[in-house]
Amino acid sequence: MAPLMVGAFYNPHLGAELARAQGVDHLAMADPPAPTDPHWPAIKARYTLLLHDYLGQLSEPLDERSIARARALAELYRTPWVAEHFQCLHTEDGRYNINYVFPPLYTDEFLRRFVANAKALQARLDQPLVMENIPGFFDVKASQLPEPVWLRRFFDQTGAGFLLDLPHVWLEAHYRGVKPATWLAEFPLEQVVELHVAGVEEDQDLEGPWIAPAEPTDEMLDFTALAVSRCPAAKAVTFDAFAPSLTSDVLFKSVERIREAL
Amino acid sequence: MSDRELQDLVLRALADAPFRASREWRDRALVEPGRLERFARFLARHFYYERIVHFFKYSRALARVTGRCPEAVLKSADFDALLATAVLGSRETARDVASLAVRHVKEVTPPPQLRYLNDLLRYEEAMMIAEAGPRVWRDSAHERAAGSSEPSAPERVEGTALLDLAYDLPAVLPRLLQSWVEVPQAPAQPVKLLIARSPHGRVTVARADAAVASVVELADGRKTLEQLAREAGLRATDLETTLVGLSDLGAVRFATGS
Repeated sequence: MAPLMVGAFYNPHLGAELARAQGVDHLAMADPPAPTDPHWPAIKARYTLLLHDYLGQLSEPLDERSIARARALAELYRTPWVAEHFQCLHTEDGRYNINYVFPPLYTDEFLRRFVANAKALQARLDQPLVMENIPGFFDVKASQLPEPVWLRRFFDQTGAGFLLDLPHVWLEAHYRGVKPATWLAEFPLEQVVELHVAGVEEDQDLEGPWIAPAEPTDEMLDFTALAVSRCPAAKAVTFDAFAPSLTSDVLFKSVERIREAL
Repeated sequence: MSDRELQDLVLRALADAPFRASREWRDRALVEPGRLERFARFLARHFYYERIVHFFKYSRALARVTGRCPEAVLKSADFDALLATAVLGSRETARDVASLAVRHVKEVTPPPQLRYLNDLLRYEEAMMIAEAGPRVWRDSAHERAAGSSEPSAPERVEGTALLDLAYDLPAVLPRLLQSWVEVPQAPAQPVKLLIARSPHGRVTVARADAAVASVVELADGRKTLEQLAREAGLRATDLETTLVGLSDLGAVRFATGS
């Protein structure tokens, strides 16, 4: 097994520090580089870059504009894989948009939609597609399948890779009142290509923990080590924080601690 | 009802507070109401944090002089009070939230070197309001066909704004985002700016000359091209060029008839 890459997200406000950093193997790109970003040439020359932008929600087929954009970004970054999310965050008519990752109903209809649209996207990409799990803060009674079963069927039918977001699993376990390791074991870990690790903090609106641009706790790092040991095909672990409030100290310390934990 | 339609109902309940409180939604009992409400409030704060950080970025850059970060309003009682009626992405809620941000920054007396602060806040507020409203997420064959119809009766798109400013803001904005010691100054030079949003949600700002301004103001979806050219005092070819530019920016669209 090749050594795991350990990296972070490219945060443009930390571009100067990232351009000269040590100990960061890769950067995930959530947004295209701004034309005025003075650090982008150095970042591009130095790092393995992972395409992790919003390409579109696969509950509908991606249109030609979105596919062309995905292909252009993949080529710009020379990304080894292209990531998207199991999300459905805007209505079909475009009238309502919650602007935040949100899972689809875990039903056969949505499975068919995601499988068909992912296969169509795969056929147009030159790189493998990986898909990231999204946390549910509540259950919707119309869902028919447990999320891990739905995901397993999706991966089996598409051959796509799994981008396992560990804080998402941890949060779901928290709000379901089950042990994170128990909930994790339900997921198709043999399909995992990349893992996301992040901090969680108390959120006043949710009245409980949620993902935050903070260092992962020791518990989360232990959880990461456990998960990686069960993901034989994993190639990368990424500190998942992308926010204007993120400081360079938190980013670099988190990457260092993730590396130490593995 | 298909699963996709059910998903749309859940998304609407998260985005639209009045709908969330309605009998139509509550009678479905799809989601535990307390959890839904907490997540909706979380989403609203996140939604408008992203927009204020983006559209009020110049005010944020000036916070070390004004002492006022516009996004601080998201933790205020005034913002909490809006949550009961907020509809994420609507122009009305964008207007309400942008207004709170402007009021927050204006509550202090601006330093003398920031004479253009009022203009800047009007500009940022207009950008945030222009971005709101339904958007096209994916092109369809139907929309492409509609777009290829013969144009007639240009109509100003809702949210398009013309701003008359006393200071030439475009000359100073890029410098505000770079490192500076002395506050960058905007020339005291009146400018008229056009702010428009494309159907896909991209907001653009352009300097507007007299021709552009008059076409935007006159385009009501009823005047024909001939009437528009006459009232704007433009030759047909100049009007066509102007309309192509405005259409590309998303400032006007064409009523294609029945």
